[in-house]
Amino acid sequence: MDNCSSKEKKDLGSLLPQEIQGWKAEEKDRSYDPQTIFDYIDGAGEVYRSYNFRELLVRRFKKEGQPEIVIDFFDMASSKDAFGVFTHDLEGEDVSIGQGSTYKGGLLSFWKGPYFVSIYAEEETEETKEVLLNMGEAVASAIQEEGAKPDLIAVLPEDEVDVGMVHYFHNHMILNYHFYVADENILLLDQKTEAVLGTGIKEENEHILLVVRYPETQRAAQAYKSFTEVYMPDAVEPGLVQTEDGLWTAAETKDDLIVIIFNAGSSLLAKEMIKKVEDRMSRR
Amino acid sequence: MKKKIITRRDFLRVAAMTPLAGALASGLKAREKPSLDKARVVLVRDKNALISFNNPHPEVIRKMLDEAVTTLLGEKDPVDAWRKLIKPSDIVGIKSNVWHYIPTGRVIEQAIKKRVMDAGVPDTRIDISDRRVRRSRVFKAATALINARPARTHHWSGLGTCLKNYVTFVSDIPYYHPDSCADLAKIWYLPQVKGKTRLNILIMLHPLFHGIGPHHFSRNYTWEYNGILVGKDPVAVDATGLRIMQAKRREFFGRERPLQVPAKHIFLADTRHGLGVSDPDRIELIKLGYKEGIFI
Repeated sequence: MDNCSSKEKKDLGSLLPQEIQGWKAEEKDRSYDPQTIFDYIDGAGEVYRSYNFRELLVRRFKKEGQPEIVIDFFDMASSKDAFGVFTHDLEGEDVSIGQGSTYKGGLLSFWKGPYFVSIYAEEETEETKEVLLNMGEAVASAIQEEGAKPDLIAVLPEDEVDVGMVHYFHNHMILNYHFYVADENILLLDQKTEAVLGTGIKEENEHILLVVRYPETQRAAQAYKSFTEVYMPDAVEPGLVQTEDGLWTAAETKDDLIVIIFNAGSSLLAKEMIKKVEDRMSRR
Repeated sequence: MKKKIITRRDFLRVAAMTPLAGALASGLKAREKPSLDKARVVLVRDKNALISFNNPHPEVIRKMLDEAVTTLLGEKDPVDAWRKLIKPSDIVGIKSNVWHYIPTGRVIEQAIKKRVMDAGVPDTRIDISDRRVRRSRVFKAATALINARPARTHHWSGLGTCLKNYVTFVSDIPYYHPDSCADLAKIWYLPQVKGKTRLNILIMLHPLFHGIGPHHFSRNYTWEYNGILVGKDPVAVDATGLRIMQAKRREFFGRERPLQVPAKHIFLADTRHGLGVSDPDRIELIKLGYKEGIFI
């Protein structure tokens, strides 16, 4: 398994079924790119753009007297971004399709290789749920390649964060979606940065662990300076501050990485957590 | 002067207050001095508003709209009330919303259009549009706008609001996406829009209170509220709608569950842009119709 990243565009339609359990595909698929996606989906288009999606193929299925079903098939160009966009919304039941999946409220989402797939019934019934899962299985089987998750995830300690609920992303807008830090991009995130955000509970307190990798060490240093100046001007020691809720935020930079722990129950815990991440970083 | 950067810590500082409004009000200066007058918002509900999902009852909707507008304007007769909003010489754009899953819909559009015509505006000087507003001859020349859209959670702005409904007046929509669409109110100061809005209608017949997936929609997360919120101040209307949505989420999820993206554009429209009033203490809310499950 590798981080499958393909420059070649495939015939996405060949990976999707034409009919399942009486739901037949409409004659024509529709296709969108990062410029035209807003013609199809509203503000959420920004999410897929933020993960550098290359193409979206939409196939609608109809069956008389039944709710319509829509497959939104995203070619994300890399497995890292397919995984990443999947982690944008992790709520739901794991239905073991592809390399990671969730089902909730008439919506099946999964990723496999460089593809992220959303299959949606306009109304949820027992029958549509069964069809959605069967469609998902069919699409997942048609995708031959698997892909690796981002290696950055490995720096998060399994005993400190819920690894099944980690978000992977690139930019400031997605960071703020999951965990609001600031209205301005004080961590200097962009499409070339990689970030993982995990949540854990320690001593009845929910902490947030954020690790960002920058394309260059110098950029990481700049971002660390920007973050600490804005977020912790009253730091009790470099990279450590007690926030207004009595909890602690700690930040550290090493090479091309920044690690930040928010909402730690004590300064000691915050430092321990940073140390654990650093140890894992040094083993990379 | 350098713009103050708002961080999570600003919210923590005022956690005991209304978090967003408090933080933003303390951190930023409003463009205009706020009026001491309360903004009036009317909520009207009728159990018979819906025949089925996305299929409102035309007569009931007309009655609800009339009740709301007469109450808002302090008139007994609906046509007299509409004449306070619209002059016969006006060119009127009815700003609709065509979102596939819960659109404004023809029934409501036509109910509004009828009253605009009753106020003396001929058919040729009225247009109803969402995506075509920048190309529409009527909208380009409009002297008055009526803004009507359904309330729903929104992936990027927290809530699809009356404020947000004007985003199609701009060509570069992504420009307004940063910081969860914080500065949507800016659009309301653009020449095609500024000072033209006579009425805001936030439709809450079956609002979407939680969104999932690329389309941000599941019928599982809608409920029959059978309501319409009406006001002249878009910020007050939206702020009221937000309170109802938050209460519904609290009930449904069984715990406090804030919107995934805070609908801060509503508060910033007040505190940063001076467009209207978001503080409930400065909103006069008049409730008509049944009270069961009203959430406010």
